[in-house]
Amino acid sequence: MTYTFDFAAGLAYWPLLLQGIWTTLRLTLFCTVFGILIGALCAVIRTGGPVWAQRLIGLYVEFIRNTPLLIQAYFLIFGVASLGVRLPILVGATIALTINIGAYTTEIVRAGIESIHKGQLEAAQCLGLGRVQTYLHVVIRPALERVYPALASQYVLLMLASSTLSSVGVAELFGMASRIQSDTFRNFEVFVLLGILYLVLAVTVRAGFSLLGLMLFPRRRKLGTPL
Amino acid sequence: MKNLRAVITAGVATLVAVGAFATSSAHADTLQDILARGKIRISVDPAVPPYSVMDESGNWTGPEFEVARKLAADWKLELELVPTSPSKRIPDLLTGRSDVVVSSLSITDERKKVVDFSKPYTVISVVVGGPKSETVTKLEDLIGKRVAVTLGSTNDADLTRLAPAGVEIVRFEDEATSITALSSGQASYYVTAPALLIAVNERNPAAQLEPKIVLKNNIVGVGVKKGEPALLEKLNAWVDAGMADGSLNAIYKAAFGLDLPPELTQAK
Repeated sequence: MTYTFDFAAGLAYWPLLLQGIWTTLRLTLFCTVFGILIGALCAVIRTGGPVWAQRLIGLYVEFIRNTPLLIQAYFLIFGVASLGVRLPILVGATIALTINIGAYTTEIVRAGIESIHKGQLEAAQCLGLGRVQTYLHVVIRPALERVYPALASQYVLLMLASSTLSSVGVAELFGMASRIQSDTFRNFEVFVLLGILYLVLAVTVRAGFSLLGLMLFPRRRKLGTPL
Repeated sequence: MKNLRAVITAGVATLVAVGAFATSSAHADTLQDILARGKIRISVDPAVPPYSVMDESGNWTGPEFEVARKLAADWKLELELVPTSPSKRIPDLLTGRSDVVVSSLSITDERKKVVDFSKPYTVISVVVGGPKSETVTKLEDLIGKRVAVTLGSTNDADLTRLAPAGVEIVRFEDEATSITALSSGQASYYVTAPALLIAVNERNPAAQLEPKIVLKNNIVGVGVKKGEPALLEKLNAWVDAGMADGSLNAIYKAAFGLDLPPELTQAK
């Protein structure tokens, strides 16, 4: 071993790293919000909508979950651009990632909805709750609460998966690190640093989800037990 | 890349030093040998598209071959092309396998320690390519435009250093993805070797890219073994003549659609 470690060489590029972290976080935040919206909506339709809509969403979920994210991103950024629709690269990547996470969320939330006991729905009916009220208070919220840990994991995975988007030209954390290592040739240090940064980011995202969970689900806050 | 090149050059230097000593006494004056023989042996790498390549029908084509043919023709000598490779170009000279090297050999300080160079006869440039219809003459004109470059390449480093703020640089994983971005219209400017612009135009005729701005020029000279002043002097005179009558520029322009930079064509 004649290699001299020089972590300062990588750290000297901190403005680039910071930019990368910011892009990664923005991407994750946007995809989380829209992913959950799309997922919840699709899950509701898939469990109780018209048959044709259920089929359509089934197709969407199966198609997205069984093709690589990178191909979806290439398609949206380069494939669609060939037809003349030129999305800015970050926008294209965000849409690709949102569509992708939306499909996973649909499946997770669907599992949550299906876990709601029939008796709950009957009780809601007896209490005179309308269809929308029933969905909002009796179905969706407890369903989300039940699958919340699985959702949190999926969104941490999403944040980690966004690293592949550097190859379609998104200047997120991994892309920035690639630039730094090709500037400094400090492969070992840069990638160790990158690993640590992703670890910190993942822990942060997970902590964010825990806090959000406490805010959204008073039951958990008050009783401290999962539903 | 630069480090790698330095290592290779150093390695080559040590390797061939022994060989050079062994053969140096035998060839006191290469120029006299060439003239007596009536034949010049020129090392050219046939695998560096588009500078020098073997085409589908087995012919050697490209500007480097043109230059080699011109050299032999101007000196009224028979030409013997010695196929070589990037790592063999300098050893060819030092071991006497060839008389001169005309093979995209850019002039570097490391190489100058091992061989001599003629005056530069051409350049290998890094250019900003853009659509024919747009008028872009300097880097400031690129502000607000999307410029593709390959992530972490030397081109990336040069562009990042030189580009003014406001130029949207998009970095792609490799040249293939950059070309995909260009041919799908995701970016309309591309920092690369002029040759790759031709590749984009072939894939997407609508792109119509042409070299707009020269970012950097690596100057290229004819490589000669050290200690051959007569040959070197004749080569320099030949380069001067080729620059004066525009024939070297014509070869470059035919291949890349650009004129050689004035520091070459107007060098005295």
